[in-house]
Amino acid sequence: MDQVVHLGLLLIGAALVNNIILVRFIGLCPFFGVSTKIETSIGMSLAVTFVMTLASAISWIVFKFLLVPFKLDGFLYIITFILVIASLVQLVEIVLRKTSPSLYKAMGIYLPLITTNCAVLAAATESVKPGFFKMAIAYNYSFIEAVVYSLGIALGFGFIIITFAAIRERLELAPVPEILKGTPIAFITAALFSFAFIGFSGLFGL
Amino acid sequence: MVDLKRIGHEFYKGLFRENVVLVSLIGLCSVLAVSSRFENGIYLGVAATFVLIFSELLVSAIRKLIPKEIRIPIFIVVIASFVTIVDLTMQAYSPSMYKVLGIWIPLIVVNCMILGRVEVFAYREPIIYSISDALGMGTGYTLALLIMGFVRELLGSGKVMAFGRTIISLPSAYEPASVFILFPGAFLTFAFLIAINRWLTSRGER
Repeated sequence: MDQVVHLGLLLIGAALVNNIILVRFIGLCPFFGVSTKIETSIGMSLAVTFVMTLASAISWIVFKFLLVPFKLDGFLYIITFILVIASLVQLVEIVLRKTSPSLYKAMGIYLPLITTNCAVLAAATESVKPGFFKMAIAYNYSFIEAVVYSLGIALGFGFIIITFAAIRERLELAPVPEILKGTPIAFITAALFSFAFIGFSGLFGL
Repeated sequence: MVDLKRIGHEFYKGLFRENVVLVSLIGLCSVLAVSSRFENGIYLGVAATFVLIFSELLVSAIRKLIPKEIRIPIFIVVIASFVTIVDLTMQAYSPSMYKVLGIWIPLIVVNCMILGRVEVFAYREPIIYSISDALGMGTGYTLALLIMGFVRELLGSGKVMAFGRTIISLPSAYEPASVFILFPGAFLTFAFLIAINRWLTSRGER
């Protein structure tokens, strides 16, 4: 039971309290790039959830069983993680194209973009090498915790990107001063959005 | 034959006209996240510029040996190596700043600015122009970081500090609006910064 509560708190902490986009500003490029329509944002968040969770799991295994025993963890982790992510994205793309063409169509175009999505690298780095983030606890995540943590980050990412797309669709029709049209008003909306997220800080002492 | 005029041109274009952050909206994540304090901007700006200069230098030097099909993985490995150098150097010489910047140091790898400049510029142009392009773009990025940091720290805490000294402080009648240091302030400041930039350029065209 304790374990379930702990994992649940980890999930909420990663998804809402330390929301990756609005609180920590990671992954802003896809946030502003693909959040113009609801459909595209759903596709993007699906692809991110999938790759992020898988990438963290594989990075964890590689880090614990390859890098640490050979004492390479201090200086090789950046290169290793980015290569894991890049090859994983390629692999997922190939597998999806062969096995599920409909899912490939939905996610397809977003997959290559994910390699340079900093949120994925951040999730992998943080779930494997904790200490970089606010909830920093001085222990190493177990495999399950790492997976739950990165799943939480991905859910927070998806939640924000889809809600924001819904707002932006309406913003298209709103009377906005000429000078603020487009990107500036999107940023102001994001600011108001993140005001709401101040309310989450300090929740559960996370 | 080295064209001095062109070297100057490649440098200047990065400062304002093609400023990566303010005009192309690239590399936003780090700018918004780190600019809560003026001093952070100096460190991250220098770190990213260092990585940019040496990545462009190396890629430009070996550009004729890189096969087109696998150029992206090669670029990423080159960039990740220089980021690792920055990571270890910073850990050794300024541990306190390393703690503040945290995840943003490894995330320089996926800063689209660097991959973008390497792909668009260094892969095609000779070394000497690549260096001047990298210097210009890096300075433009640092400039954006410093402007953001300056505005946010000034409005948020009433004074701007760097290296333990106060650079400028507002009269004590000013009540610091700490929201500018928190995350909504980043979005808000940036929204108005692009709006002002847009206003200035549109006025210049008229």
